[in-house]
Amino acid sequence: MTGKERILAKLRGESTDSLPLMPITMMFAADLAGVRYIDYARDYRVLADAQVAVADRFGLDYVSAISDPAREATDLGAAVEWFDDQPPAIVESRALLAEKSKLVTLRVPDPAAPGRMRDRVEAVRLLAERTGSTRIVEGWVEGPCAMSADLRGVNTLMLDFFDDAPFVEALFDYTVRMEVEFARAQVEAGATLIGVGDAAASLVGPKLYTRFVRPWEQRLIAAIRGFGVPVRLHICGNTKRIVEGMGQTGAEIIDLDFPTPLGHARRAMRETQVLLGNIDPVRALRDGTPASVEAALAECHEQAGAAYICGAGCEVPRGTPHANVEAMTQFARSRS
Amino acid sequence: MDEVGRRFECEEYFVPEMLLSSRAMKASMEIVRPLLAATGAEPVGRVVIGTVKGDLHDIGKNLVASMLEGGGFEVIDLGADVAPERFIEAAATRNANLVALSALLTVTMPSMKTTIDAFQSAGLREKVKIMVGGAPVTQRYADAIGADGYSDSAGSAVALARKLVTA
Repeated sequence: MTGKERILAKLRGESTDSLPLMPITMMFAADLAGVRYIDYARDYRVLADAQVAVADRFGLDYVSAISDPAREATDLGAAVEWFDDQPPAIVESRALLAEKSKLVTLRVPDPAAPGRMRDRVEAVRLLAERTGSTRIVEGWVEGPCAMSADLRGVNTLMLDFFDDAPFVEALFDYTVRMEVEFARAQVEAGATLIGVGDAAASLVGPKLYTRFVRPWEQRLIAAIRGFGVPVRLHICGNTKRIVEGMGQTGAEIIDLDFPTPLGHARRAMRETQVLLGNIDPVRALRDGTPASVEAALAECHEQAGAAYICGAGCEVPRGTPHANVEAMTQFARSRS
Repeated sequence: MDEVGRRFECEEYFVPEMLLSSRAMKASMEIVRPLLAATGAEPVGRVVIGTVKGDLHDIGKNLVASMLEGGGFEVIDLGADVAPERFIEAAATRNANLVALSALLTVTMPSMKTTIDAFQSAGLREKVKIMVGGAPVTQRYADAIGADGYSDSAGSAVALARKLVTA
């Protein structure tokens, strides 16, 4: 099977020749390609070269246009700090929506207009041309909670939940409308799966997640699925108390970070829900050995059951020994 | 804040509730602090806190700062993306006995070592205890860079801080 066939078969609940392998690689990919991260994040050709290189080197079943959470915010005019060799970061002290009244003035940006969103669309297009026949090409958008945190400031948004619920609803509505258009452009460019990253959602408990976040994740995911591609929902951090709700979002793949045991997630979801992950990226993957990586993945697979895709809890960290990533590949190829 | 920390540890409270509690605590402290000062009460310790150079992710640091303040520490919060020299200057001028360094990214963790080394070079390393924390930070890393302590949660950071300043 090709990587694309393997992933899509797993999502249909069909048998596969081995486990699909979908670890997130960003800085690891840039390092492998010998490029600075600022170039990886700013130039789709650099990103595409590095993604193809890392997929070829480690036999990954997919490539991805994920790079950092600041693409949409940059195009909207948010203050972003750039670093030579790490991801750009949004400057919360100068948040774009420090004043709530500015929300009504924001328009949904056109992903085809010059900017960082278009750069991602072009990355998807190039990846699809180069490797889309045999691998899944993953586009990427921010989830409603993460994108709202990017624009409002995460510390402030957390208090907005209590202080001004109508504003939060309006902000989430705006972000979802924007991300639907961003996802549409990436699908039209050749993405065969869309990842939704909603890291800030792990900061809230089940009440706020159910009340505010999940309904908007559901809307976003339903819209993307309407474009004919499956969705991977990735939430960094501890999601133990919201994971049941994550299983109700409609995403084909629930991608969990290491603090949430896959067995816990499996008990909260149906048997056929595909889970992805989730060995500890630092302690198990970067600082472990090939043997300990294999053992950790075997535990994940055991807990997740058949509906499982191999990966780490989050990005494969910079500095991870290649032998440890090879151990992931060997594990995936040895199981089905 | 000890009770808030307890509820956070057992996942009854989450970050929004922590920040809400912190806001209430800070407002209360504005009223209480002058009264405490009038009695001559001393803080448990004086801590300089910030995220290290290159790291703009400050929510974990903010939680720890609130917990420390609630735990009776005087907190000098330098914010995010703090250069080693700013930590040194604040620790020296404010006569701090504890420095708390935070990092969320694996790529900014080396700034923790740079900061600790800078305290050494400035001849101030023996005057302060240095504690580190953040999602990718481990006890092993803390030991390797010469930190005095590591905590994996906001709640346990207070206990660690108390232990360090009384050691």
